[in-house]
Amino acid sequence: MALGFTLAVFGGALAVVLGGIGSAIGVGLAGQASSGVMSEDPGKFGSLLLLVALPGTQGIYGFLSAFLVMLKLGLVGDVLKSASVYQGWQILIACFPVAFAGLVSGIHQGKVCASGVYMVAKQPKDLMKPVIMAALVETYAVLGLLITILLLNGIQL
Amino acid sequence: MSIAQVQKFQVVAHSGVKMEILSALQEEGLVQVERTDFEELGLNSSAVDVYQLEHNLYRLSHALDYLSRWEEKGFVKRLLAPKTQIEREKREEALGFDYLSVLNEVERIEAKKNELLSELKFLKKEMEFLDPFKSLELPLGLLKPTETTQILIGSLPVSGYEDLQKVPGEEALWYEMVSGDKRRYYLLLVFHKQERERMEQILRELHFAPFYFTEPVQITEPLLSRTEEQDRVKDVMRKIDEEMQSKRLMLEDLEKEEKKLFEHREQLMRVHDVLLNEKERIFCSGLLGETERVVYLEGWVCSSDVKKIKSKLQPFSEVTELYFRDPLPEEDPPVILENPKPGKPFELITKLYGLPQRGSFDPTLPLAPFFFLFVGLCVSEAGYGLLVALLSFLFIKFAKPRGGLLQFLKLLALLGVSTVVLGTLVGGWFGFPIRPLMVLDPLQDPLSFLYLALALGFIQVWFGTLLNMINSIINKRYLQALFVQGGWLLLLPSLVLYLAKRGSIWGILSLAGAAGIVLFASPSRNPFARFFGGLYSLYDISRYLADVLSYSRLLALGLATTVIAMVVNNLCQTALGIPWVGWLLAALIFVGGHLFNLGISFLGGFVHSMRLQFVEFFSKFFKAGGSPFKPFELKSKFVEFI
Repeated sequence: MALGFTLAVFGGALAVVLGGIGSAIGVGLAGQASSGVMSEDPGKFGSLLLLVALPGTQGIYGFLSAFLVMLKLGLVGDVLKSASVYQGWQILIACFPVAFAGLVSGIHQGKVCASGVYMVAKQPKDLMKPVIMAALVETYAVLGLLITILLLNGIQL
Repeated sequence: MSIAQVQKFQVVAHSGVKMEILSALQEEGLVQVERTDFEELGLNSSAVDVYQLEHNLYRLSHALDYLSRWEEKGFVKRLLAPKTQIEREKREEALGFDYLSVLNEVERIEAKKNELLSELKFLKKEMEFLDPFKSLELPLGLLKPTETTQILIGSLPVSGYEDLQKVPGEEALWYEMVSGDKRRYYLLLVFHKQERERMEQILRELHFAPFYFTEPVQITEPLLSRTEEQDRVKDVMRKIDEEMQSKRLMLEDLEKEEKKLFEHREQLMRVHDVLLNEKERIFCSGLLGETERVVYLEGWVCSSDVKKIKSKLQPFSEVTELYFRDPLPEEDPPVILENPKPGKPFELITKLYGLPQRGSFDPTLPLAPFFFLFVGLCVSEAGYGLLVALLSFLFIKFAKPRGGLLQFLKLLALLGVSTVVLGTLVGGWFGFPIRPLMVLDPLQDPLSFLYLALALGFIQVWFGTLLNMINSIINKRYLQALFVQGGWLLLLPSLVLYLAKRGSIWGILSLAGAAGIVLFASPSRNPFARFFGGLYSLYDISRYLADVLSYSRLLALGLATTVIAMVVNNLCQTALGIPWVGWLLAALIFVGGHLFNLGISFLGGFVHSMRLQFVEFFSKFFKAGGSPFKPFELKSKFVEFI
């Protein structure tokens, strides 16, 4: 019993940690680029903030999935539920899509955003175009989140 | 869903009225002036010289920027302040104001202030430099070397001081500590001149840093001028302080003068904008073709505006001749989108992707209902929708923005409304679902929501294919339209129904659609190539599948908003348990958390809905590549022309 529960908690933690790492690297990349641009043109803060914030969603998706795991386990409510070892593995694996897709897409979205920052430096009016480009990368994090939600929803405790 | 008819507009006029005609056209702002093909027509262009004008504009904007610090503070107040209005016809009156003398005054004050500030900075440095020695009671005049002794003042690192103490027993050296701090001691040293080289060697080894008051090499000019024989360090410092005081007073006076000049700011703004348009007009005159007596102008104008242009140029009818004609097939006229009022804000999305090519149509209206719906589903939080709609509405009402900003705010308000409705139906109000009003709870029943999202996607993809069919018909590719696009239109729904219900009628219809695609998709005349090419294009079904599945993001984003809102409320509940400050903390978490969620969910909803239009929908039927219509009009930076 306890092993199953632990495995499930591990799944939730993995979602937060990997999604968070992906976002942190991604936001870091975009942030560095935008600081460079702002050293020349401080007025661009507002529009660059958008691009820097964009790779942050993977971390949020991971957080969200972990919250759903906690709901499932009753960690948020009053009554703790018990999970068998199999159910624990199921929940752990259900967290994989959001965790790994978030890790990799966060980093790559950060790269796209960083180059988008350079683009905005030269073409300030075309802000939305790099944003859309970054959203193309984010699709896979969204799909990962979607499958994680559906899997978690399907696992009955 | 249309593109406005555009006409070519040509004017031949007497040279004498060139600038007047340009001014009238600029006021109207309905014509895009094109560069005349000088070589083909054998015309000249006039050289454009705007150096003086640009210089003055630069001075004006610099002065305005400089004076702006006297502006009333308060971010909201400034944000909501409407711009000053000027009547178009009377704009030249602004130039009656003697702006050059104001500019000279502003520049004089700025230069003087900068000079004073740098002097003050310098004096402050001197004070810092003298400060360690202020307890030295000797007059500075005595600090000069005599015939046999050398006098030095300077500082020593704390560690070097001990070593120095070992020195004097055997050497002819006397010293006194004037002051000291954690890192350095400040000393007065006297030694015999005969020992000078050796002493200096020792001092160097101890990292002694000498200060030269008395040796003219290092003394700064102002310090020297304030020093008299009997002055002590304290006295010099007092003199410097007095000087700083007087300079500060002068600065204050200048500030007052500057504040007075701030009253002229509004007039300067007017002058700036009028001159800006003057410059535009002179630039524009360089596009015109000219002979000695005649100027020739050509451009584009929206057909519905032709009458206005005619009446505007009526006063010049004696010396001008106007021609209007439809664009020739080889010409590439600019694109003006024309949509009914509720669809207008959605033009922003089309413009972002690119304007339609000539012969294509405007995708704004087809995308509008989908975009409206998708953002609502992605955010699905009625409270946030209400907040966004309300804020945009208030901003439109009070700040009275124009142009692109106005359209964007209207779009936001519309999307806010959509979010309120859909949020109530499938989401909640600030994380609290209102069960009786809900038709579907995506948290309880995500599968039904997923089917809804995919169904919406299917409808949009199918609709996109339908639009492509219409496109083919317009371009007279009837076979393509009927069999290929028609085939897809038949195949897609019947295949879905066949898979769902297994009715043989749906199977037959699917096959019929597929047959049309296989037989007509490939343009090749070789029957084998044609058949296999057609078969290959049937493979596009995987693309359709991928496109429809992409709409599942509506579920994911909608759920994300709902769950984060719940998390925020959950945290609030936990915070309420803390004694005494619990309610305050809970309120902070509630406001901050929901604002954060609002920001990321609207950003996500906007961007992903836009992507669905661009990648999944537009790829079916739309080709961008038109150039935007850029009318020659009155531009404004600070004021508004009415």
